Amino acid sequence: MLDIRYAEDRRVLLVGRLDAAQAAAAQAFLDTVPPPCVIDAGGLEYISSAGLGVLLRTHKRLVAAGAGIRLINVNLHVYDVFRYSGMDKLFSVTVTPARDG
Amino acid sequence: MELTCKRSLDELQAIVAATDRFFSDRPVAPALRMPVDLSIEELFVNLVKYNQGTDHDISLRLDWVGDAVEVSLTDHDVDPFDPTRPPELDIDAPLATRHPNGMGLYLVSKMVDAIHYEYRNRESKVTFTKRMAQDHA
Repeated sequence: MLDIRYAEDRRVLLVGRLDAAQAAAAQAFLDTVPPPCVIDAGGLEYISSAGLGVLLRTHKRLVAAGAGIRLINVNLHVYDVFRYSGMDKLFSVTVTPARDG
Repeated sequence: MELTCKRSLDELQAIVAATDRFFSDRPVAPALRMPVDLSIEELFVNLVKYNQGTDHDISLRLDWVGDAVEVSLTDHDVDPFDPTRPPELDIDAPLATRHPNGMGLYLVSKMVDAIHYEYRNRESKVTFTKRMAQDHA
């Protein structure tokens, strides 16, 4: 399951699994987010290409509006997916070292 | 472990639960588990989205083969489509030309150790293998 919501400081918190079943809900939320958009992915356990597509569409929209997305606290194993897809070259992705090895 | 799945993205939750059970006896680090989960999802979603001429269930099977996990997805009464040879993705392309299409199967091709496709009597079967490191978590 996925939980996506604002933190008190207007960061977007992304928690759980961003897969094909959750992509539409995530897209609906992110379509309402104004720039600049900082996404705290510290609780993101998993992302697939459907989730990458959500972030790519959101980034394109926000770049056109003046500033793209920035991901922070990404786990190393989630970061692998950004790296393999080349998405880490399109927007800022800051990694938090995994505590689980 | 075997699971029969309806042709719906809603089945992803059941697939994750079944995969959790599969790994519960032999846990692996998230970095090793991620390619397995991702490849199952991408291949399953591909079957659901593009094999629309059938209402047969999709079969998912996971097995340990030595220190590797072997996963197969079998679809029935479908036309042939080989997911093991996706178009190359230009990961250095600028933002303006990047789009989400094609990323899923490309990621599978990069993240698994081996992948094989069989098609016979209108049955489509894709099998991939991912070796788990010996230092199980």
